[in-house]
Amino acid sequence: MQAASVETIENSIPEYAIRTRKLNLWYGTFQALFDVDLNIRNGMITSLIGPSGCGKSTFLRSVNRINERLGYVRINGTIDVLDKNIYDPDVELVQVRKRIGMVFQRPNPLPSSIRENILFGHKLHAGGGKTSKSDQEEIVETSLRQVLLWDKVKDHLNKKATALSLEEQQKLCIARLLPVKPSVLLMDEPCSALDPKGTAAVEELIWELRGEYTILIVTHNMAQARRASEECIFMLMGKVVEHQLTQDLFVTPDKKETADYIEGRYG
Amino acid sequence: MFAESSLNVRNKRIQNLFRILFMMMTILLIIPVIIILGTLIAKGGSIISFDFLFTDPTNGMTAGGIFPALLGTIWIVAVALLASVPLGIAAAIYLNEYAGDNWFTRIIQLAIINLAGVPSIVHALFGVGAFVIFFGFGTSILAASLTLAIMTLPVVIVSTRESLRAVPQAFREACWNMGATRWQTIRRVVLPNAVSGILTGIILEVSRTTGETAPIMFTGAAFFLPFLPQSVFDQTMALSLHLFVVATQVPGVPDNLPFGVALVLIAMVLLMNSISIAFRMYLRGKKKW
Repeated sequence: MQAASVETIENSIPEYAIRTRKLNLWYGTFQALFDVDLNIRNGMITSLIGPSGCGKSTFLRSVNRINERLGYVRINGTIDVLDKNIYDPDVELVQVRKRIGMVFQRPNPLPSSIRENILFGHKLHAGGGKTSKSDQEEIVETSLRQVLLWDKVKDHLNKKATALSLEEQQKLCIARLLPVKPSVLLMDEPCSALDPKGTAAVEELIWELRGEYTILIVTHNMAQARRASEECIFMLMGKVVEHQLTQDLFVTPDKKETADYIEGRYG
Repeated sequence: MFAESSLNVRNKRIQNLFRILFMMMTILLIIPVIIILGTLIAKGGSIISFDFLFTDPTNGMTAGGIFPALLGTIWIVAVALLASVPLGIAAAIYLNEYAGDNWFTRIIQLAIINLAGVPSIVHALFGVGAFVIFFGFGTSILAASLTLAIMTLPVVIVSTRESLRAVPQAFREACWNMGATRWQTIRRVVLPNAVSGILTGIILEVSRTTGETAPIMFTGAAFFLPFLPQSVFDQTMALSLHLFVVATQVPGVPDNLPFGVALVLIAMVLLMNSISIAFRMYLRGKKKW
């Protein structure tokens, strides 16, 4: 990890999209995260790897505060997203969800048309104001183009989204986050429900979105982390073991645990 | 090598025994329905005509039609629906979408189940006490309908809740994670996908309400009225009570009259149920997930 202090804040875009300080999280009495300190770079793809139960999904889910819906979750420490602690009392949850999009393991398009799926988030956040037909069309087209789906579905935008293939559904689920201009996209094993071809397509898409969005992706698949991320975080038992450039982490890991894990000695 | 053993034979015989037993019980089930419908059509079919449906009873209810009773039943059911449907749906939405699982909601749950178990005659007495006397509605359509509404409320709540619960949680998650509030989620996603189930529940409630007698006989339905109700504060005749009256209380009623009334009543209920089933199949065919 490079020292953040040398970089002074020259412009409004912070260097790190997500910074956590001493983040501890408990499910009831079970502690799932221990003093997690992470700096996740803006506009990069960072992958989170580690064995099941290591806290990677828990971490991801605390970045858009969906963990707290469970009710028995307790958190201390801070999570700054774009330099604002999202656990501050003056933070509006709706704004958090708007700026931080989430993609799930199983694609979860709404049971309406492709068009409606794309416009859903936009309509939610546009308030009562009507968006003109042509603006709506533009939003739909731009979003679908960004996820490389436009050419495939442009002729049947009124088709049910649930009738698409899983790969297309997952792309649609990413596309529908884009109209409200999120800064961060959280992805919780976005390819684990897909076949190899779908996985490759979605990985390609994630790579395309790099730069414009900060992407944090949880994956079980080490090859995927290696292919589709620029930085990689290895977690074990609720702690961060190592955070490196992906190419370094997989070639010359610093810690023995990391080396053991990526060589498949446990997992 | 693969020859049948004696144990196989025995197991197969037992298996057949149960299959036949259960089949016979199923057949037994539909026999009463066939007998009831058959008897009603055989004995009451002859009296059904346009005049029977749309004229008043005459000669001390021993002749003429059933129009006031038919109209009264429609009145009572319609007003009962207006009361119970919004209330029931709202309660179901609250319980399923907003309320957590705690002692408060569990008590409400228990109350709903108990409400469903209260005998209809007890509801009738409650209706007399509450609506006729306390609220001063008198014996009227309003009092009868509200009594019925309270009686059928559990049905609406339970069926609405079931349909809400059938909407996959993933849809809600998807909405919440895009920053939708609970209400936005309910209005845009949950309700549109639950509407078929909710409507089915309502139609079933209608069919149940149509046939109820006890709750309305003290609260708003009259033996005989020489005029049609003008407002919800009037009394009215009703089919179910009319059937009871012509079948047991009035001497000299021709045989086919009560059977005819029963046939109309049951036809109304069956019609309603068929609509509900057809509607459910139509909506189910449309949704895909």
